[in-house]
Amino acid sequence: MSLFHNYQTEGFYDEMFLPNGSPRPHYKQLYERLANMPLEEYRRRCQLADLTLVNQGITFLVYGDERGTEKPWPFDLIPRIIPANEWNYIERGLTQRLTALNLFTHDIYHEQHILRDKAVPADLVLGAAHFRHEFMGADPPGGIYVHICGSDLIRDRQGSYYVLEDNLRTPSGVSYMLENRIILTRVFPHLFNNLNIQSVDHYTTRLMQNLRALAPEHRRESPVVVLLTPGVYNSAYYEHTFLAQQLGIELVEGRDLFVDDCVVYMKTTHGPQRVDVIYRRVDDDYLDPLMFRPDSLLGVPGLVNAYRSGSVALANSIGTGVADDKAVYAYTENIVRYYLGEEPVLPIVETYLGSNEKHLQHILANLDKLVVKSANESGGYGMLMGPSATPQERALFAEKIKASPRSYIAQPLIDISRAPAFTEDHFEGRHIDLRPYILYGSDGITIVPGSLTRVAMRKGSYVVNSSQGGGSKDTWVLAEDTQMGVQTQC
Amino acid sequence: MLSRHADSCFWIGRYVERTEAAARMMDVHYHSALETTRQSAAGTLSRRWSSLLAISGSAQLYTQRYESENDRDIFQFFLFDLEHPSSILATWQKARENARAVREQLSSEMWESLNTFYLNLKEWDVDRVIAMPHVFLCMVKDASHLFQGILNRTMLMGEARDWLDTGRFLERAEQTGRLLDVKFHDLLDNQEAPAPAGNMPLDLHGWIAVLKSVSAFEMYHKTHQEGILPEHVVDFLVLNPRFPASVRHGIGRVEGCLHRIAGHAEDSPGSEPERLAGHLRADLTYMKAAEILQTGLHPFLDSVQIRCNQIGDAIRAAYLSY
Repeated sequence: MSLFHNYQTEGFYDEMFLPNGSPRPHYKQLYERLANMPLEEYRRRCQLADLTLVNQGITFLVYGDERGTEKPWPFDLIPRIIPANEWNYIERGLTQRLTALNLFTHDIYHEQHILRDKAVPADLVLGAAHFRHEFMGADPPGGIYVHICGSDLIRDRQGSYYVLEDNLRTPSGVSYMLENRIILTRVFPHLFNNLNIQSVDHYTTRLMQNLRALAPEHRRESPVVVLLTPGVYNSAYYEHTFLAQQLGIELVEGRDLFVDDCVVYMKTTHGPQRVDVIYRRVDDDYLDPLMFRPDSLLGVPGLVNAYRSGSVALANSIGTGVADDKAVYAYTENIVRYYLGEEPVLPIVETYLGSNEKHLQHILANLDKLVVKSANESGGYGMLMGPSATPQERALFAEKIKASPRSYIAQPLIDISRAPAFTEDHFEGRHIDLRPYILYGSDGITIVPGSLTRVAMRKGSYVVNSSQGGGSKDTWVLAEDTQMGVQTQC
Repeated sequence: MLSRHADSCFWIGRYVERTEAAARMMDVHYHSALETTRQSAAGTLSRRWSSLLAISGSAQLYTQRYESENDRDIFQFFLFDLEHPSSILATWQKARENARAVREQLSSEMWESLNTFYLNLKEWDVDRVIAMPHVFLCMVKDASHLFQGILNRTMLMGEARDWLDTGRFLERAEQTGRLLDVKFHDLLDNQEAPAPAGNMPLDLHGWIAVLKSVSAFEMYHKTHQEGILPEHVVDFLVLNPRFPASVRHGIGRVEGCLHRIAGHAEDSPGSEPERLAGHLRADLTYMKAAEILQTGLHPFLDSVQIRCNQIGDAIRAAYLSY
């Protein structure tokens, strides 16, 4: 029996299948290769992928298990395929969007034209949790605030793409994009044959070029670049070690660094060594106890002043959270129009703001149809899925919203697209999203042709976050000249 | 020690290293060709193996024995074909035969690791491999590493060990040089092809594959942070004294072994092999990658290959013929 036996699209946009049940042209070859695969063989490859993940330590701890059982990160082997024309559209849209958001950030920390022109409400921006008034007037190198961005895209029932959020602070997950590809080529090489899939392995090389170019001018000949991690207990620690290794740079914690006379040094066996560029994976709040949270042990006292003096560069810059705030999100299409004078390529999801009296009434009256999110939290925490919540849950949440309207936004539930995923002994549709990684360097914006596709592994679930039981897929971007339906040979 | 024993030790070292090199090449070559941006302009399957046949110098033998360049035949040829002297099974089998002849020179754990893996290899066939080549090729690499680890840990620091090391490092230096030579040739070919979609030059992926095939990708970045430039790749793989698979490192290790074997001090080499190895090591020490590229990488690597052969010949003449 085929692993696709009885596969149902259930009215959702399915990445692999047309509504009539036949595979889309760009999935045809992959479908044929998978459809006839015996279950045992598919399982064997799953086991090997899991083993690879366990051996490499790409695992998470099962909480409450005293033996410290480690489970492999859920990786679904069926790749998600994006044809060249769709990718070009996404690339255009994200390039436009990041260009605008960067100009917005610069404006907010300087003249604030956009607020005076009332294209975005001033109280919304200046009241955002991640707005850093301490950072007004500072000038990051080249005027670039966001060097690494991970934007989340979803598709609706018609297959149209929407930007769901931008991660402009310390976006994570790129190591999974790179590892998923390596693992899939190893455990499932035959799936790749004749498909013209673009490689992603130049991501770290490109990132390193951009980071080096941030160094102060007189140090640019051979700058010292480091990756600053909160440490081994951070959930993304694996990614930090992976990136430091691939970039060939030191992985440092706050306690390895100190600031002297506005210059950052790291403590080495051969004495202090000057640091020029910090790829930081520590949030603003914890970066510098002198400036932000005084109780932070993760940061480096004096780092912010050193940064302002220009002796060291940070990627991403400080205060970028003002532009990925969930309430500011509602105005991002305006932001694109305001700075670039053009229509946004990629639309956003209709958004109601708790801070707006009219919107607030609408939210409270339609809680059973809306997804309500806390404006200041990420990772799928602090949200209400209205349509699937119980009346009690909704009532409880309504109280929370009334107590602090500014902290909440609401969006209609989008029936996000699905793709086949493996469940026990067959394939079933699961909801997915798409996170491409966008690099902004002194010579412009680059998007490596690949992404992290996250999967809500639980049946019917819309939540793809890894903290909420999400898994991931390898994401194939096809090259321009891909021919569909070429005969396979393995 | 007996010339015959020394000869066997030398060849055990060489064959184990050769087996590992074959596994590495197949692994990286096969997996990196899966993505489009690394395929040749023609993008055909048949072309993806031609450079590998060229590196191993076995294109002619292959065409005599097989009709077309398809994955299955290529794997059969490089992994199990005993008529192909550099197939993985053939080289490991020869390492084992040599070890059997000098078992008393080795620790019993060394012999056992060679023998166990030989028996393991015999259990495999090409159809089992081709379902998931990485599993098999990784196992081969691990077998080589296990053997070398046991050697390091158990064997007396004496002449037999120096012969094993001479074989290992001479072979490694030659393999790295050959790999670079052929891949460089490939990449130059490709530069004339139309640029592919994506925003990076085609050859970047090629260079990444070259580095990965000798496990150099991460270590390269620790040494050269400016990105992947041909000049730096050449510097790292040929001239770097500290990278264990570089030509310079291999020849340096060979030289050290030869001094100890001859009982000569470093500054007064007394034998022809020492003189040749020392001369090559000195050239590699004082040369710059830019100079090599200026005069042409291919002629340079060719001359390195010839000089490695001369070192091998001189060793045979001075010590091993019996």
